[in-house]
Amino acid sequence: MAHTEQMAPARDILRTYGIHIVLAALIGVTAILSPAFLSGNNISNMLLQAAPLGIVVIGQVLVILVRGLDLSVASVMATAAVVATTFSGQDSDAFPVFVVAMLIGLATGLVNGLLITKRNVSPFLVTLATMTLLQGMRFAYTQGAPSGNVPPIYRVLGSQTFYGVPYNLMILVVLATVFSVLLHKTTYGRQVYLTGGNPVMARLVGIHADRITIASYVISGGLAALAGLIYSGFVGIVDNWVGRGFELDSIVAAVMGGVALSGGRGTILGGLFGAAILVVVFNAVLMLGMPIEFQIIIKGIVIIAAAAIYVRRA
Amino acid sequence: MLTISKVSKSFPGVKALSNVQLEVKAGEIHALVGENGAGKSTLTRIIAGVHKPDEGTIEFDGEIVHWDSPAAAKAAGIHVIYQEFVLFPNLTVAENIFLGHERRGFLNGIDHGRTRQDALDLLNRLGVSIDPDALVSELSVADQQMVEIAKALVHKVKLLILDEPTAVIAGHEVELLFGRLRALRDDGVAIIYISHRLEEIFDLCDRVTVFKDGQFVATETLAEMTNDRLVSLMVGRDMSELFPPKSSAPGPVVLTATNISVKGRVHSASLELRAGEITALSGMVGAGRTELAMAIFGGLPMIGGQVAIGGETFTRMTPSLAIEKGIGLLTEDRKGQGLAMLTDVATNISASDLGSVSHKGWLNHGREKEIAVSEIANYRIACRGPQGAVLTMSGGNQQKVLVARWARTSKKVIIMDEPTRGVDVGAKAEIYRIMRDLADRGLAVLMISSEMPEVIGLADRVYVMREGVITAELRGDEIAENRIIQAATQKRAS
Repeated sequence: MAHTEQMAPARDILRTYGIHIVLAALIGVTAILSPAFLSGNNISNMLLQAAPLGIVVIGQVLVILVRGLDLSVASVMATAAVVATTFSGQDSDAFPVFVVAMLIGLATGLVNGLLITKRNVSPFLVTLATMTLLQGMRFAYTQGAPSGNVPPIYRVLGSQTFYGVPYNLMILVVLATVFSVLLHKTTYGRQVYLTGGNPVMARLVGIHADRITIASYVISGGLAALAGLIYSGFVGIVDNWVGRGFELDSIVAAVMGGVALSGGRGTILGGLFGAAILVVVFNAVLMLGMPIEFQIIIKGIVIIAAAAIYVRRA
Repeated sequence: MLTISKVSKSFPGVKALSNVQLEVKAGEIHALVGENGAGKSTLTRIIAGVHKPDEGTIEFDGEIVHWDSPAAAKAAGIHVIYQEFVLFPNLTVAENIFLGHERRGFLNGIDHGRTRQDALDLLNRLGVSIDPDALVSELSVADQQMVEIAKALVHKVKLLILDEPTAVIAGHEVELLFGRLRALRDDGVAIIYISHRLEEIFDLCDRVTVFKDGQFVATETLAEMTNDRLVSLMVGRDMSELFPPKSSAPGPVVLTATNISVKGRVHSASLELRAGEITALSGMVGAGRTELAMAIFGGLPMIGGQVAIGGETFTRMTPSLAIEKGIGLLTEDRKGQGLAMLTDVATNISASDLGSVSHKGWLNHGREKEIAVSEIANYRIACRGPQGAVLTMSGGNQQKVLVARWARTSKKVIIMDEPTRGVDVGAKAEIYRIMRDLADRGLAVLMISSEMPEVIGLADRVYVMREGVITAELRGDEIAENRIIQAATQKRAS
């Protein structure tokens, strides 16, 4: 008994700061093994890659907080990217591209939210279906071989830096701040946590739990579309598979960051720390000269480690 | 059969049991009672081999035993039925009964025919007609409980322990269960029966042992015991102090529900609630009481009827509208419908009234904390402050969190569904006093209760429901057990 009593604080520390310790350890070890890892250039590069994932993670956290899951985010990203090149590729098209992409993202989120709340279908099935549907429509539209150019302004936002700070990172920071403030300082945010914490109770204390849930999916869809536009500017070429894997990466990041899959617990900042770990791991594999396949293997190991730390959280 | 002497058990920071004794004979049903925290669960776990005692001895079936695992206790013939059943919903009744003791046949594969036949034999021995091929998920809760008991019979049970078995069943199901337990007793099985419901204990048990604060208080024969004496042994004070005095002058009608119908559950029920009065809604579980209250509050859709409050009439209600009009509802299911278990006390208190802790949508955390601090003091909620998690609190204190929440928003009517379920006797008295205070402050209190003593002891007026219909309205001296039972079980009495 005395043994467990002594263990308790250590375990608490691990649970509260586990993610920070893991991130610090990863950075430390990689930096020792490969000094180039901490070069300004490489850091800038990592931040550039982190932003689109981070933006998707914000939406994913909002969805998981209301006991959901959004698998359609990557498909929305790719669709938005295809839209980005549909017009003439001039800066004058930037605004219509933005509007069309956002409408697709928001509409997808709305369909997800309505089916989940009004028809009571599981989030997994609904978002798997919209993911597939969007993918099919995208393929039909591009006939498998998308072409065209991204408006230059998106290239700037997606891949340029301002005194070493990527523009897309600034967008991420602004969005993360706005949504964190919404979650923690407003009644909207409180309703998100109450809805996720106990949906039946939420309804009985007068919260429109369905609306709150739908809002999470709509926001997730919108943010995914925005991330898709920014990512298309980062990649530069058009691709049917922009953002491939982001649906699982964003869920993994959220869970590693302490967002409970059972809903009602977690923060955006936590999710972003999770995303940072993924980006550092991917980058470390390259910097250490390991084969690219190691990215996937190490990702698996990191997920298991995170799961082991958080498993007794609830 | 079982003799426990001088057993003590400590957990870090808590002395759960201190030098307790318990003696249970073969062929008796022995009640174990005490408030929450009295040490009943800890002793159960020690008997079941989950915990080891720090001191003291356990003698079972004539031998001093030192079980080091639940399996060892089970093998010796001890079976515990916990409040939460340990059944696999997607396996059949027969598979559940023989789980871990599968009937083997050819090549050591499972012999489904024999599994089925043996299960049928056991169920017949219990005198219940449950299809051994049915999935457990398809059974009623009462039948699931019978499957749990059948599992005990597989192991030639000598000592059966039931922890609050009637918390999940009601009415004639309870009678059925008691019949089975008496039959097992007559077969020579020793039974330890843990319950908060004293009527049941007098009805069923032969002897009773009372624990208080981890200590042994007394073991007595129930035939020589009165209800009042048992309660005073448990709480250390008199029964008459349990209920506050009734109201003499009820105020005006504040809510009128007319011909409310809820699909399949409530048929054209009408009632009036008065300020300053505690009105009880009595009747059997399943009579439609919860559904009627939910319809008034907007938690369930009404298919007919109307609710009048504050000079307005509504044919459609929603919880947010009801809250706006000054109605509050404490559900019977605290965990599932009442509280966000993983969040803190302050968040749970403010949940129904976010407007009071915010300005133009911006939360005022300081104000929220102030409110929580004052409500914690107001209702004497035992917790680790506003940031304490509700998950780890006792049933009585969780209930007080809900009272604090709803007393803040309920300006006219507060509906409390089974307000003392799973709450120990001491906290019950406190909740009764709070309910009377709320009525004295001018609220109309509607209490749904299955416990006869609290209906009779607390309510100023009683409606009785049966199969979705209100069958009687009783007041004053009419509020008596026989009148209520008559209205609850027979066709229209009034």
